[in-house]
Amino acid sequence: MDNARFASTQDFFNMYLKTCDASFGKLAELPAMGPARERSEKMMRGFSLFFNLYETWMDSVSDFQKLSMEAMNRMQEKAADMEGEISPEQSRELYNIWIETYSDTFKEFLRSGHFASDSGKFMSSFIEAQKYNQEMLEESFLKPMNLPTKTEIDELNKELYSLNKKVKELTCKVNELSGNM
Amino acid sequence: MIQESIMGELDLLQNNYMKFTKGAQILIEPPDFSVGTTPHNVVYSEDKMQLLHYKPTVEKTCPVPVLVVYALVNRYYILDLQPDKSVIKNLLDQGFDVYAIDWGYPTGTDRYLTIDDYVNGYINNAVDYIRKKSRLDSITLMGVCQGGTFSLMFTALHPEKVKNLITFVAPLDFDTDKALLNIWAKKLDVDKIVDYYGIVPGDFLNMGFLLLDPFRLLIDKYIGFLERMDDKRTVENFLRMEKWIFDSPGQAGETFRQFIKDCYQKNLLVKNRMVIGGKRIDLTKISMPLLNVMAEFDHLVPNDASHPITDAVSSADKKTLVFPTGHIGMFVGSKSQNEVCPKIADWLKPRSMIEETGNANHIKQKEIKKINRKSKETNK
Repeated sequence: MDNARFASTQDFFNMYLKTCDASFGKLAELPAMGPARERSEKMMRGFSLFFNLYETWMDSVSDFQKLSMEAMNRMQEKAADMEGEISPEQSRELYNIWIETYSDTFKEFLRSGHFASDSGKFMSSFIEAQKYNQEMLEESFLKPMNLPTKTEIDELNKELYSLNKKVKELTCKVNELSGNM
Repeated sequence: MIQESIMGELDLLQNNYMKFTKGAQILIEPPDFSVGTTPHNVVYSEDKMQLLHYKPTVEKTCPVPVLVVYALVNRYYILDLQPDKSVIKNLLDQGFDVYAIDWGYPTGTDRYLTIDDYVNGYINNAVDYIRKKSRLDSITLMGVCQGGTFSLMFTALHPEKVKNLITFVAPLDFDTDKALLNIWAKKLDVDKIVDYYGIVPGDFLNMGFLLLDPFRLLIDKYIGFLERMDDKRTVENFLRMEKWIFDSPGQAGETFRQFIKDCYQKNLLVKNRMVIGGKRIDLTKISMPLLNVMAEFDHLVPNDASHPITDAVSSADKKTLVFPTGHIGMFVGSKSQNEVCPKIADWLKPRSMIEETGNANHIKQKEIKKINRKSKETNK
């Protein structure tokens, strides 16, 4: 797979968004469109995030496809002697060659800076997309239904942590003063 | 002839299919088995942390207690997987008084816990409990893997509370490319991960561990299991290891963030520049006897990461032991029971004695008297 294809698709998508903004998008700038415009902007941001995720995911898929091909070629070279009909005993040998070759080839790749960098990008775009999902879920469902959101629970957890820490410090001081320690 | 050949291959196919279904059945509905079986009591607990005190198996001949501090990743019971593969039981059998920390499973309320909370909070309180109970000023600390790194931090900050320090497959110098985790962690956008998850899921870390060697860990291991599953003991051993591997607690976010940034990315600890709880960690403050134990073929904590421990401390009495095995082999391999534990015990026994008439305070008093006497003599 060619990575350039995804980049050009992304370019096309960005151009489409810009054109929209410059034409029909002007309608959304009317004051009366306020809340709807905000929502629409958020949704557009979502598209962009999911596009990034798709792009980084496809980069990874492409890497692993190339890697599998490389491993297969290496295996073919190693198993070149095993021509003709393969007996069950030889199947085991073939399996061993397969595991060894694939394992070594993959490990070699996983050790490379290229994998570390690509997987880092994928992880980053995955989390961005997840975060967006969470925001939308909170705004569209949880808040209107008056249900606690993750953000609010996190705030409570932080408060609880601080209180717990304070209690421990004070207990320690009380123990010191009362000579228990 | 052709018919016989086809029948033979069909038999083989059927046989393999039967093996596969039996193996799958065992993995889906495993038989009863237990881990962490050495008898113990929970003697102290704080939030999710529990301090376990193991019941002696022989008369205690080494009065200075040993506190085992395991990593936050995976669970402590790899040190007590089954009676014949137990570092903890082995130490008990040699007359040591053994304690271990079980960190438990962090939940949302723990996401803001920092390394300071673990080191100056939980470990410090566990050590104080043991010191109080044993009426000793200092105890032996045995830090395992990441727990070893935490033990180094603790000992540097509270050297008076540690009589002997054992670092067991523990990393200190993270600036190495000998292990995949070190390479990956450098590129990890830890802020994004922690900000989103809060508690970093155990599965996320597990995925990383499986990626270290995906073909062997996700395929070959199970093929090997299918070939050996007729032996009940082998099945139980395999299932115990499986349980441990996939029993991965989440990580308290702030601790994970600081550990990745300060240790893996900036490598501050070995440079004596890491700060926790407002205090800088100076490893030269570690002057008590040190035993640095590592595995030659460790793929998680390479020797390059562990060796510098010996040089970083100022202890006069220090020793490094390297065993020809892997990271996990140090806990459950045959070498663990036959070589690793006995050698640790040989080193620790003479250093775990206290004077007949009293405790460490008594020793301290004697030392102080000796120093005073010497200074008087010098003045004369």
